[in-house]
Amino acid sequence: MSTLSVGLLYGGATLFAMFAGMPIAFALGAVAVVFMYFFMPAASLDTVTQNVFEEMASITLLSIPLFILKGAAIGKSRAGQDLYSALHAWMHRVPGGLGIANVFACALFAAMAGSSPATCSAIGSAGIPEMRKRGYSPGFAAGLIAAGGTLGILLPPSITMILYAVASEQSLGRLFLAGIGPGFLLVMLFSTYAVFRFQQEYQAARTEFDRSGQEHEILREHHYTMAQKFSVLPRVLPFVLLLTGVMFALYGGFATPSETAGLGGLLALALIAVIYGVWKPADLEPILSSTLRESTMLMMIIGMSLLYSYVMSYLHISQGAAQAIVAMQLDKWLLLATILMLVVILGFFLPPVSIILMTAPIILPPIRAAGFDLIWFGVVMTIVMELGLIHPPVGLNIFVIRNIAPDIPLKEVIYGTLPFVVLMIGAVLLLCLAPAISTYLPDLIMGLPSTR
Amino acid sequence: MSAHGFELPGAAPATPERAGGVLGAAQRALAALNTTIMLLSSLALIGASLILSYSVLARYYFKAATYWQDEAAVFLLVGATFMTAAYVQSRRGHVAIDAAVGFLSPAANRIRLFVVDGASLLFCAFFSWKSWTLFHEAWEDGQVTSSTWGPPLWIPYSVMAAGMTLLCMQLALQILIASQKSERA
Repeated sequence: MSTLSVGLLYGGATLFAMFAGMPIAFALGAVAVVFMYFFMPAASLDTVTQNVFEEMASITLLSIPLFILKGAAIGKSRAGQDLYSALHAWMHRVPGGLGIANVFACALFAAMAGSSPATCSAIGSAGIPEMRKRGYSPGFAAGLIAAGGTLGILLPPSITMILYAVASEQSLGRLFLAGIGPGFLLVMLFSTYAVFRFQQEYQAARTEFDRSGQEHEILREHHYTMAQKFSVLPRVLPFVLLLTGVMFALYGGFATPSETAGLGGLLALALIAVIYGVWKPADLEPILSSTLRESTMLMMIIGMSLLYSYVMSYLHISQGAAQAIVAMQLDKWLLLATILMLVVILGFFLPPVSIILMTAPIILPPIRAAGFDLIWFGVVMTIVMELGLIHPPVGLNIFVIRNIAPDIPLKEVIYGTLPFVVLMIGAVLLLCLAPAISTYLPDLIMGLPSTR
Repeated sequence: MSAHGFELPGAAPATPERAGGVLGAAQRALAALNTTIMLLSSLALIGASLILSYSVLARYYFKAATYWQDEAAVFLLVGATFMTAAYVQSRRGHVAIDAAVGFLSPAANRIRLFVVDGASLLFCAFFSWKSWTLFHEAWEDGQVTSSTWGPPLWIPYSVMAAGMTLLCMQLALQILIASQKSERA
């Protein structure tokens, strides 16, 4: 059988098993094993488990459960709300400051917790009611939080970036750094839009007030005393110090990414114990069990995805597909656009972790051949996968918002996120025009790459 | 839908259907075992964090060589992952694409779930079997990892095999309970 027909069969069997509703991990593993049986030497079946173990027993991959632990510890505490009220108290004088405070809170929390939906939930549950109380339109408030949450897998430590680093054999430290510039870019874009939208809504309320004397909450001024401004800081600053301290350990060369994860997890547990009194076994149980549930589910998918791509590459399916794409001699930007579209479509069905591991052997060689920097592409691909979180049909963040603010109609939430979808596409275009936004920081701190 | 490692608040993980008789007893026994395993795995998680944190300290304050920490953490985390796979399955926590559910009648969905669970069980059974043979080989030949520390490989292999076997038992139980229910219905 030719590589092409085996490849089509492989893809078809995978789609069938997945759409039948088999858990993604078992579907990938089962398809891989069946194809090993039919198309590979009999001995290869004997080493399946060894294969999975050796791929999984990498300390870089296994830092994922620890990063999840850190995120769960911070996410399940009141840290999100406190962070939010601190930023709000300090920024409320700026016009649209409440919106900006929300974006900043999302970015900071995302960097600590490393998860988009968790960020939406933690910051949104405080931020959305507050913004609505202050007269922001519900759609705008919802959109801002949904979009702010997406900073979660862009800012370090990000689970999708860990996987991308493993799949593309790029430096994880460099990749983390490469996400920071674009992360700031998105924060700036979101904040600018928040101010602009605030002015619009403020003007509309003003005009209405001048015409009919109709009061509107957005017109009211609020004041915070110095005591209010400072009282929340002792609870917030330690977390910010944790965040920066851990990053310093990583980039100062004191700790490897996995040691950073272990240290971060432990310190996060210590902080919530000291600051919020969360230390009894009964308090810790929900944190630990949700960490295990999430990380086991992810690690099983990761292990089986690695087996899946091993079979794909043994049967020369990935190489064949990659060569075919290179042979098409597409214009490099057309190639990039096509591949990113593919990522968006896959994102409708698959979690980012399996998209990365399954497609990397096929899409990375053509991307490299077209002269794109793989670190840069990792960041772009991450932003594009983030986009999938805030638009239908999947839009996990939209569901989170629906959950914390059930009275905002779905339509308003979706319309509220639309401007942010446009801003994120804009950010991708900016990154294409000026790759340095992403690569400047890693090149500055870690020196120019020897080979990529 | 926790593909991003996140559970919607309020959307509590599916509680297992309760069964009576022998199956019920098996279900309770497995649940009790899973609870114990969750506790041990939580400790493994914290243990791995402690070991990795210690390795930072050891290197910078005591100038000690860090040769065993990564591997010890890997063993603990691999162990926690495989051992809790059955617990996650008991809550149907292994994500799947549920697009088909909407198109099928409840009866067709029951058959679909039956087939899907059966296929998952077959795969996991194969995986457990090969894990046990791997363990057996490592035990017989006294295989160790290739690092300078060189701990025996049968340790992680045995945990992998035990975890996958437990996962098989969980799947088999879910299939049996489902078929018992559909017989009664």
